[in-house]
Amino acid sequence: MPKKYHIHPKVTPLNLDYVFKFNIERGENCINCGKCTRVCIYEAHKRRKDDPRKMADPNTVVCRNCFRCIQECPRGALEKSLDKDFLNIGGSYWKSDMFITLWKQAEDGKVPVTGAGYRGPFTGSGFDGMWTDMSEIVRPTRDGIHGREYINTSVELGRKLNHLAFDEKGKLLSKVHDTVDIPIPIIFDLPPADLSPNVKAALIKAAVELNTCIVLPADDITSERKKYIKNIIPLIAHKEVDKHQGLIKNARIVALDYTDELLSNFPAVKDKIKKASNAITIIRIPATKSVETIVSGLAQNGAEIIHIVADYRGMEVNGSSDSERRPIKDIIRTVHLKLIDERIRDEVTVIASGGIAMAEHVPKAMICGADLTAVDLPLLIALGARLYEEPEKLLIIPEGLEKIPLRTLTQRIINLMGAWHSQLLEVMGAMGIREARRLRGESGRAIFFEEIDNDTFGKLFKKRETANI
Amino acid sequence: MKPSTVKIKKTPSRFKHQVPKYKVTRSNACINCGTCAKSCPYGVHERVEGHNKVNLPIDYKCIGFECQNNDFYCVAKCPRKALSLSMNPMYETLGDYRWTADMITGTWIMAETGYPPERKDLEYNIGNSGGGFDKLRFKFPSGRPKIDKFEISTEIPLNRRNDGRPNVIISTPVYGGGMSFGSVSLPTMLSKARNATLWNTFTCTGEGGYPEMLQPYDHHVITQVATGLFGVREETIQRVRIVEFKYAQGAKPGLGGHLLGEKNTESVAQMREAVKGTSLFSPFPFHSVYSIEDHKKHIDWIKEINPQALVSVKVSTPNDVDMVAVGSYYAGAHIIHIDGGYGGTGAAPDIAKKNIAMPIEYAIIKVHNFLKEEGAREAMTLIASGGIRTAHDLAKAICLGADGAVIGTAELVSLECVRCGNCESGRGCARGIASTDSELSDLFEEEWATQRLVNMYHAWNVQLVEILQKFGMKSVRELVGRTDLLEHIDYSAPR
Repeated sequence: MPKKYHIHPKVTPLNLDYVFKFNIERGENCINCGKCTRVCIYEAHKRRKDDPRKMADPNTVVCRNCFRCIQECPRGALEKSLDKDFLNIGGSYWKSDMFITLWKQAEDGKVPVTGAGYRGPFTGSGFDGMWTDMSEIVRPTRDGIHGREYINTSVELGRKLNHLAFDEKGKLLSKVHDTVDIPIPIIFDLPPADLSPNVKAALIKAAVELNTCIVLPADDITSERKKYIKNIIPLIAHKEVDKHQGLIKNARIVALDYTDELLSNFPAVKDKIKKASNAITIIRIPATKSVETIVSGLAQNGAEIIHIVADYRGMEVNGSSDSERRPIKDIIRTVHLKLIDERIRDEVTVIASGGIAMAEHVPKAMICGADLTAVDLPLLIALGARLYEEPEKLLIIPEGLEKIPLRTLTQRIINLMGAWHSQLLEVMGAMGIREARRLRGESGRAIFFEEIDNDTFGKLFKKRETANI
Repeated sequence: MKPSTVKIKKTPSRFKHQVPKYKVTRSNACINCGTCAKSCPYGVHERVEGHNKVNLPIDYKCIGFECQNNDFYCVAKCPRKALSLSMNPMYETLGDYRWTADMITGTWIMAETGYPPERKDLEYNIGNSGGGFDKLRFKFPSGRPKIDKFEISTEIPLNRRNDGRPNVIISTPVYGGGMSFGSVSLPTMLSKARNATLWNTFTCTGEGGYPEMLQPYDHHVITQVATGLFGVREETIQRVRIVEFKYAQGAKPGLGGHLLGEKNTESVAQMREAVKGTSLFSPFPFHSVYSIEDHKKHIDWIKEINPQALVSVKVSTPNDVDMVAVGSYYAGAHIIHIDGGYGGTGAAPDIAKKNIAMPIEYAIIKVHNFLKEEGAREAMTLIASGGIRTAHDLAKAICLGADGAVIGTAELVSLECVRCGNCESGRGCARGIASTDSELSDLFEEEWATQRLVNMYHAWNVQLVEILQKFGMKSVRELVGRTDLLEHIDYSAPR
């Protein structure tokens, strides 16, 4: 049995100017009676310190939307609304509420738990169009959540053999490839943003402590950072392999940006890398329209790990119109099924990224066929960053991050990943799966909206209408 | 038809103000002439005798833009044009996609008056989730209904097995969901039981024991045997007419439950036969059930202890829910209760509420059809829950194949839950519904709460009877599985 993997969260608040959901205003007709102070159990209403005869401005940060003050104010003097700044954050993919829950997870590292049922839309595009399955009675035990049985979330990166060959005497002939094990199906992908050195350092530090890896452009790997090279995946242009021999020598994994040239000459490039070290390679490829063909070509050509990168909203890149672009969920499914058809699925590792915004996206991407995911923007959101989708993508990193202790930043990233890891355990526990590797491509253990809706309502209502004609 | 025990009584909100949909603004141009106060019949404008000034408008009493057609419309009547009407930004902070502000407001009106709202400006039957029930519509035939409302029966039997056990009949095809002692306040639990008694239906203890206070209502209480077996004793099983096996809960399928140590107070611990202050886990699944045969052993055990009891099996809605339902039939259960993924909870991980197992709408059809194919449908009572928010959801669930439904959130909203979702944090429910905090659990009286529930059940029954009347049916039992009476706005051709 593998060593048990635990992430240790620690409550780590960040004193930043967050945005909050509710806005409460005290009207001029307030008579300072203090009723609101008595009814609010969250202490949003207090008297002024300098003049206790008067009520202070409401502290909306703690408001939990219970309506007690609103409904019990004798004068009806309180008004509440959704904060405009809050509504503006994010967009159609990165919903405003996601930021609040990501910030919270980065602060306490806990699984978000609330009362009352689900409150969102019935279904949605991309990952929102699927549910994971569970089973009631018939499948064997799954107590992993409460620690009685271990749920293993580790995954293997690297090329695997399709089969083993032996000689007549039963001696193994095949050479088994090197692989790298990481304990969570998540690696860090540095988001394209201008980051202060301590933010980068925190990302690296967190990757080291979590025992996962972070993809960093080769030029970013300063000599000081080289001591973490085992957890760093240098990203290099394949033409510069020679130039970066030094880095490759100590790395466990290197990443190459895809070019058409690489499709045909990957074996040659690989040989070059091999001369320097046993590092395995990731080929990083944008999730374009024809990505499945390219992936298949690369896999046939000996690629070890393929990292498919969708845009920040989890959509196909360079596609024609918005309506024709596929969500990453469908791209991974297509890639996965194509590789299965070609009987080479088990030989390559597929990493999916772009739009991995919430914990649930990790198991969902894996169910669709990815071996693991790479996460980017949430790592910065953990540090208080905000993202705006409209009118164009805008990432706002809080001012003053460079003055915050490295430990605080690192811990918040660890907290977020801790919360995600716990949530992954919840989903796997419900599915009765105790090995994250077994999640890959388990689409039979998921429910896809288009399929089930068509199967139930489509069948029921479409058929009848045709019959009537 | 409502039982004779049900009496409707107007039961207003326990709060001074309600959440307003509209905003009436009075500008500086007002000369305090009092015209508005005299003309508005709803009491939005008040001018107290002896005061110089008209009071600020009471927004929540305003009926909104539909008032424009009235000759007493204040905005038009004001001689100084000092009044204006707009949507109140506060309304956006109430409700969500599934339970819209209109639906919450509509349910509050039902709980207050006992009837569906008369206001035309509330879409209280359909939510905004964009799928499932919210996309299904009834295909009512044209022409005038030929059946008198008094001839229509909303009764359903719960024992269809013909196994010599009593045929329990409930007067309306709805009963109250399991909410444990500890998760809701005692007044909430008691008012649910009293309502169930008056309506000749049921409520459920949830997992966590059977408080003595419920004993006068034994005849209308379902006691739960859940995976932690907390508070399960021979006498609690012997005292009721229905025993429910809870395998899983729709909001957190496959996860079990966790009562934090600090919530495990003296009385909770006593009820659960546990040690005070320790965290209590309800595991998942039943550790003695890994097959339908094991499941049968469980059911036989209950049947042996209480030879009169019916057995209900509560499961959530994975892909194989249909198999589980048929298995439960073979194991000897009377009721299969399926709890959909979007169901309520006092606390569950958000990731589970949103992502695990399917919405109830699909599961009902799946289970209904599979039971039919296996020739078991006639012998089983199929109860749906987990996202049944309104009388229309109930009727749609029945059309899809359920015999009746279990509701939870709708009951709590009747007691003025705002669905803020903080049931478990800190001291619990700020509104006193789902809290055992000494101060907070005392915020309302059982009398008030019971009447609010009775009223809401009545309003639902009125709506259900109306639907049956339009379809020309004399019994709700005729509605079961009639998908032909529904249309789906994505698939059905526009008529």
